[in-house]
Amino acid sequence: MTVILHTLNTSPGSAGFTDCLRVIAAGDALLLMGDGVYGAIADTAAGATLQASGAEIYVLTADTAAAGVSNLIKGANHVDMDGFVALTERFPRQQAWY
Amino acid sequence: MIYSLLVLSCPTSGNCTQTAAAFAQCVIARGHSIHRVFFLDAGTYTGAAAAVFPQDEADRIKPWLELAQQHAVELILCISSALKRGMLDQSEARRYEKQASTVHPAFTISGLGQLVDACANSDRLITFGG
Repeated sequence: MTVILHTLNTSPGSAGFTDCLRVIAAGDALLLMGDGVYGAIADTAAGATLQASGAEIYVLTADTAAAGVSNLIKGANHVDMDGFVALTERFPRQQAWY
Repeated sequence: MIYSLLVLSCPTSGNCTQTAAAFAQCVIARGHSIHRVFFLDAGTYTGAAAAVFPQDEADRIKPWLELAQQHAVELILCISSALKRGMLDQSEARRYEKQASTVHPAFTISGLGQLVDACANSDRLITFGG
């Protein structure tokens, strides 16, 4: 099965967020950006669902800082733009959710 | 590797086009090349020649112009998305008998075939929407 880099740019509860959660699987990576970063806040239903997916979870540092939630993120790796590009080098396919 | 970008985000809502432009600069900094950036839907507003941003806001167009000027990155606006939003280059303005062009000369108006070509001739196609 082909592994995919998912980028999620919409807040928990939105159709894009729900659809993405239905599709991601172990072996995939998920990069939360824009309003998507709210999904990785500790002790939330969205955060728990992301953890249960088995996918590698990442958050874009510029967007967690802009949202003021950098210190509230749990279970996700913080990546800067360099890290984002590195993910696209690792994963030949990307699926954007927004 | 060769990258192409598909940008659907409106430059004046959210920060996704800024993220896309920063991503493109970083791709080049890491030794890759950008074959083409294709702007679709509200993303075509990125080519607005007359957009003026308040002094306390980031200029959402300038980073793309820098990419084109510094690295000869091809910036394509989808023709059907652009025209219905009033985004016309000089030849389209003449064709539809409009008073002036509204698209910055760094951008080219073209068809969806350019997106298909970008997919076929790039190692990576990265989409920025929302």
